[in-house]
Amino acid sequence: MSQDNGVHAGSGATTDASLASRAKNPKKNGPKWWLISLIAVIVACAVVIGVTVAYGKKNDSADASAKNMVADTVTIGLKLAPTNLDIRNTAGSALDQVLIGNVYEGIVARDSKNQVAPGLASSWEESKDGLTYTFHLNKNMTFSNGDKLDAEDVAWSINELIAKQYHDADAITAVSKVEAKDADTVAMTLKTPNSNLLWTLTGRAGLVFDKDAKYDLKTQAVGSGPYTVAKFVENTSITLKANSEYWGKNKAKTPTIVIKYLADDNAAVNALKSGDVQVLAPITESLAGPFKSDSDKYTVKAGNGTDKYVLGFNNASGSKLADKRIRQAIRYAINHKEIIASRGGADKALGGPIPSLDPGYEDLTKLYPYDQAKAKLLMAEAGYSESNPLELSLTYANIYGTELGDQLRSQLKPIGIDLKVNVVEFSTWLQDVYTNHDFDISLVDHNESHDFYSWADPTYYFGYDNAEVQKLYNEGVAATTDKERDAKFAEAAKLISEDAPADWLFNYRITTVTAKGVKGFPFDLNQTVLPLYNVTYSLAEFSQQ
Amino acid sequence: MRFVIRRLLLFIAALFGISVVVFAALRILPGDVASIMAGINAPASRVAQLREQLGLNRPLIAQYFDWMGALITGDFGTSILTGRSVTALIGTRASITFPLIILGLLIAMAIGLPLGCAAVLARSPRVRAAFHVLAIIGGSVPALWGGLLLILLFGKGVGLIGVLPSQGFPLDGWGKPGSAVLSLILPALTVGIIVGASLMRYTRAALGDLAGSGYIDMARSCGMTRTQAVLYVGLRLAMPQLVSVIGLTFASMITGVMVIENLFALPGIGNGLVIDVGNRDLIAVQSELFLLAAFFLGVGLVVDVLHRMLDPRLKSVSAVMEVDA
Repeated sequence: MSQDNGVHAGSGATTDASLASRAKNPKKNGPKWWLISLIAVIVACAVVIGVTVAYGKKNDSADASAKNMVADTVTIGLKLAPTNLDIRNTAGSALDQVLIGNVYEGIVARDSKNQVAPGLASSWEESKDGLTYTFHLNKNMTFSNGDKLDAEDVAWSINELIAKQYHDADAITAVSKVEAKDADTVAMTLKTPNSNLLWTLTGRAGLVFDKDAKYDLKTQAVGSGPYTVAKFVENTSITLKANSEYWGKNKAKTPTIVIKYLADDNAAVNALKSGDVQVLAPITESLAGPFKSDSDKYTVKAGNGTDKYVLGFNNASGSKLADKRIRQAIRYAINHKEIIASRGGADKALGGPIPSLDPGYEDLTKLYPYDQAKAKLLMAEAGYSESNPLELSLTYANIYGTELGDQLRSQLKPIGIDLKVNVVEFSTWLQDVYTNHDFDISLVDHNESHDFYSWADPTYYFGYDNAEVQKLYNEGVAATTDKERDAKFAEAAKLISEDAPADWLFNYRITTVTAKGVKGFPFDLNQTVLPLYNVTYSLAEFSQQ
Repeated sequence: MRFVIRRLLLFIAALFGISVVVFAALRILPGDVASIMAGINAPASRVAQLREQLGLNRPLIAQYFDWMGALITGDFGTSILTGRSVTALIGTRASITFPLIILGLLIAMAIGLPLGCAAVLARSPRVRAAFHVLAIIGGSVPALWGGLLLILLFGKGVGLIGVLPSQGFPLDGWGKPGSAVLSLILPALTVGIIVGASLMRYTRAALGDLAGSGYIDMARSCGMTRTQAVLYVGLRLAMPQLVSVIGLTFASMITGVMVIENLFALPGIGNGLVIDVGNRDLIAVQSELFLLAAFFLGVGLVVDVLHRMLDPRLKSVSAVMEVDA
């Protein structure tokens, strides 16, 4: 329609000379108008940029004046955010990561090698039959609200967990009662010996809460740790302030620690580059590349962990994968080296259900080496080939990205498997796979440590039912020495791996980037155990670079 | 007046319909908040226990009327997972999203309106074509790409002229107005440029139609120059149309800026909604969707009323129609 304008303006079909002359005016004015508006836009942009440049400079000078100082705030960028602080009821390692050891403390603690260490209890004894544990607590312990922490609180916390069936209560079903013998002695009685008990108590099951404090667990946290939660914004950030009254010797070195949850990888990288966060964990290997080459300013390191990327098969009878030959063929056909390399090479090959930091670990990667010919043979025996493929579905949550599914589809195609990849929301995965067992193959990062029991539980979503494994597992749990336990678990793990009820794609190792000047940030296991008391950030070191 | 009352009644009826649709649609989604809370190492009994505690086992009709009953008294419920009231949740998120879209819309208007007018006023066909191309390019830039480009240009620590924060919102929120505004500039620019381009096209089309109409001829024959006629008469006549477009653009931007919020790590309304749906925090989601729908309808209502104020001709038309009816 606007094309008509020229006609109208140009027509000037009037006899009135003054009108005609005015009609020509717009011709001169015309260009002016759009020029003026263009200039206005440019000027506006320039003003905005100018103001921000000035503002930005101001910020820089503020930073500069803070040179040669240990920062009183360290900001840490993490990925998976907690939606609330209710560690009693809400699952997810995001809560364990930030709260355990920092805000709440357990009767025993866990070090970054995944071993049991003294916590609220400075020492403990186990009876010969493994049925009684006696814990000796530290003296003069307090919660951050000033209340005393004694054996009563410990006994109450664990008894309450069992009575109310809070999260992880099923991990200590062996415990029959917990009693406060005196102010600093706690006795725990078991129905059956449990070699995992102490380790289990380093997690949620052993946390000690203030029995007299009343607060909203979802938005607040009252614990005995070196830090208190000063501010919590769900899905976004947690601000931790040092607990000045902390009873222990590991007092917080940095007064304020801010944890920011950055779901978007690019935003996370930008936050690190712009100095908004000083630590990023995890970061993908490919995004970590530029930081590796900038080693003057950053430290990049992959840490050990217990994350197992489990390609779980549906082993229930009637499933397409009930045929062992097909399961074995899949394991032979997967080129683990290639998958690990495409992810940047930090991850470790894993041949069985137990990762290297857990009891009973053995290198089982030799059991099913990459061998496409063997895989094809097994598939042919089962009656399938590339021209007559078996149709299988792979269901996994969208948080793991689409690449893994694509890689697996192309690796399984030549052996005669037509893999349909369904990338779904996590809650849909929980419903379809975890609860309803409606799947062929599933992929999950089982990041929990000591979760070997899932292979001894036929009702778990894998549907893996092997009496020999169950017997070995139960013997291992009932073992009274660690050595005996480890041997039983290792034997069971080998049996499981041979049976091929799943493929273990790799042991995911978390890559962490820290800015120069950051000290004391743990690299190993930092997605579940993240002690922050030791973390410091010295600006001097950073600015000298 | 009658018109306003009729529109209000319609507004309430629509809200009621929306509440039913939202409630029903959310129950069809697979998965529930109890299994999210229980996680992947919990036995089935734990999920059942949580479902019981959270009241997820109750009949759907009872759940609906509970929610509706509370809504009528102005209580939007409490989010199951976060334990905070939905009103508070939306409030925190809106304190980011609304400034962002208002800023974005102002930028869009500052770009779109003058350029749209200029495109109509330009004499040379070449200049007009250039404007046309500009509008098409601006309108077809994907938000994600545009945002990334702006980050690469201006993002602090990343960009060529790295002066603006490229992600996150200050922890103190609006307690620090300076840094809060700064953190919104890049996202607002991204939105502004894209919306501005479409606004430019609307302005050009609306004004262009009028420029060829008898109104302008009339104005010019009364002695106005063409520029004057287009700006004073044309713009005034195009106003109702532009108000509708701007109003509805504003409403749709609330969730439309979700991609931008994600890119710039701003915990706004769209971003929060996606997280809540992912967690199947249904009480929060249904109240959030309900409020969004109410807001959308509210903007529509205001636009309609404004329309009548700006265009007296509509009043007489509907008066005639009412007499006919």
